[in-house]
Amino acid sequence: MANPRHVRGSCESFCPDAEAKMRIKEKLLNYFEYKDGQKHVPGILVKEFTRSAADAKVPKAKDMRTERCLMKTVEYLLKDILMDERKPYHLAYDFIFDRLRMVRREIVIQQFNARQTIRLLEPMIMFLAYSRYRLCTEPIEKFDPKICNQHLQECLNMVLSCYNELDDAVQKDQPTIRDAERRCFIESLYQIFNLGTPEALVRGLTLPAQVRKDEIFKLAFSICMNYHQGNLYRVIKGLPQLPHILCAVAAAKLQTIRRRILEIFTHAYNNKQLTVPAAYLLRLTLVEPQELFGLCRHYNIALTPDRQALHFIKTDFKSDAETIKAQREPFVEQKLSRIYLPEVLLLRKLWL
Amino acid sequence: MFGTVNNYLSGVLRAAEDYDGDNLATFLSLRDVHVQNHNLYIAQPEKLVERMLKPPLDEVVGAHLKVLYYLAQEPPNYMDAYNQQAASCSAVVKLLQQLKDENWCLPLMYRVCLDLRYLAQACEKHCRGFTPGHILEKAADCMMACFRVCAADGRASEEETKRLGMMNLVNQLFKVYFRINKLHLCKPLIRAIDNCAFKESFPLPEQITYKYFVGRRAMFDSNYRMAVEDLSYAFTHCPDRFTSNKRLILIYLVPVKMLLGYLPRKSLLERYDLLLFHDLALALKAGNVNKFDEIVHEQELVLIRSGIYLLVEKLKFIVYRNLFKKVFAIRQTHQLDMSDFLSALQFVGVTDVSMDETHCIIANLIYDGKIKGYISHAHNKLVVSKQNPFPPLIST
Repeated sequence: MANPRHVRGSCESFCPDAEAKMRIKEKLLNYFEYKDGQKHVPGILVKEFTRSAADAKVPKAKDMRTERCLMKTVEYLLKDILMDERKPYHLAYDFIFDRLRMVRREIVIQQFNARQTIRLLEPMIMFLAYSRYRLCTEPIEKFDPKICNQHLQECLNMVLSCYNELDDAVQKDQPTIRDAERRCFIESLYQIFNLGTPEALVRGLTLPAQVRKDEIFKLAFSICMNYHQGNLYRVIKGLPQLPHILCAVAAAKLQTIRRRILEIFTHAYNNKQLTVPAAYLLRLTLVEPQELFGLCRHYNIALTPDRQALHFIKTDFKSDAETIKAQREPFVEQKLSRIYLPEVLLLRKLWL
Repeated sequence: MFGTVNNYLSGVLRAAEDYDGDNLATFLSLRDVHVQNHNLYIAQPEKLVERMLKPPLDEVVGAHLKVLYYLAQEPPNYMDAYNQQAASCSAVVKLLQQLKDENWCLPLMYRVCLDLRYLAQACEKHCRGFTPGHILEKAADCMMACFRVCAADGRASEEETKRLGMMNLVNQLFKVYFRINKLHLCKPLIRAIDNCAFKESFPLPEQITYKYFVGRRAMFDSNYRMAVEDLSYAFTHCPDRFTSNKRLILIYLVPVKMLLGYLPRKSLLERYDLLLFHDLALALKAGNVNKFDEIVHEQELVLIRSGIYLLVEKLKFIVYRNLFKKVFAIRQTHQLDMSDFLSALQFVGVTDVSMDETHCIIANLIYDGKIKGYISHAHNKLVVSKQNPFPPLIST
């Protein structure tokens, strides 16, 4: 159970009174913290992220939220704010990102146990993974994918070590079916997010049997193993079979995979007279025709005048061209359009 | 067995006065007979020790006696024993710093660090309440403190410099880092050894261990040529009587060499009880994809535990290459039908393969330089080069 040596929060509102008073007085409220439609009326405030600093006092119990309250905060952010469409998504993202970061900090300060930490972190991971996809085409001033990736990786590492701790616990209380399902989903997300890296593969190989037997995990892991072996065909065939958010995570890797396939093909089909039908490439790169032409232009691959076939010439391939930025993919959009986001991000309903 | 504490302590004192590092190391070893002497299990030995020994040696010995005390408890208190061993290790650092231009106490440092690692491993195994690998990581920090003192000892002459202790410590640190899967931490250590002016004068056993770990690391970095070089060095220099060590080296050396196109001799594998690789090699040679997958699947646990599963999975494309080479040998022409390759794959039991995938596999092999030629999509043919269409793997 909870470790008594550490401060336990006692605050039951999203924002402790002291901070709320101060921020209202100093007019430091975020757009999402004003009452709807009214300019200067405070609405629901959520505790803001602050760094730990040498001059800051040790937080008091009443300035920290209880576990139940933290869970409610996460739910509020990922439901009410996430679905708030008054402002562009990147602003909602900034707000949620900051407030979730404080939740994460409170987990650390209050030294929650593995089970508590997992419950709070899993939705954050889903949120970061989703946002990474949704905002991938935004300019850098509006969204920084690097920072998002970094936080996602940190959250993942934290939650994975909590899973390990529960695996190693002396008296194991069996996880509920829901808990096990959530874990398999997050483990799969970790695999796809770290596609083909040795660390992730080694972890995947040594996971407990019940995770390795999970259908989604098996699919995700086989994609990673095929990537490791260099069988990109199977990677491309496997990706669209992944569920919604995992597909979205995979989309971030697609441009690299496409580039690699094209580069391999410029060697394999290297011939001045011969051409390769565009239809074949559309199948293998998961792109729409217009986009394929864009790819060809970018990497300097010639098309036949009727645009039905490609000329692959090894020496023409622009190997110093930068890999195209990740983008929203139609097959992912389709999957995401069929889900109710808050339910999925809060891992209440993972399957259709 | 010394009998009384005072006997033990005067033994320590004599060894220190004689600059006898080896003997001193034995007095502080957890594997020596003296650890069975009940008279030495003392919870608060400070007063006794201070009377006989000068600082910081008194700290080293005092902490050692406490380790014995905690280990003698029922059940052994590994956590406190570890903490005392760590204290002993820090005292050794002080001792090293004090002894300028002398290195006779290196054996003591080796011993204390080795026991520290063993105790950390015991804690990881028996104790709870920390993230796995945490204690080992802390142990590595203690050893790093020793390492820093040794590495910084640049002024002493080649015989007396504590830098001679670097490789022993590096090997110990490797063992920790490999265990807790933090291979990136090895890099600065390797650089330190590489920059060492007299890296050839480290003792041979240490060099063998060093090459073994450096080779394994190169393997994880997919630097296979380097890996073969280092592991081969370790294998050839390791004396025959250390069969299990030679076997350990082979576990990595054989698959890396297979990746470069060398197949192992059966007699060698037999001698080291590694026939699993013989079966793999046969499947590889025959291009039997299904058989290969089967063996990998059957031996999954063994391969995962030895840390070569991912490497062996990389051999898959070589299996394809060998299969396709056979198609070429049968057809005896330079324009090969792609459907022949598809049939070959199906023949060896890959049932879920399509023409698109066959194209992709061959494309990959061409890109990697394992097949010389090009594919004509319109004619569905692979046109291979007249010279050396399947170049030897070592050259690719």
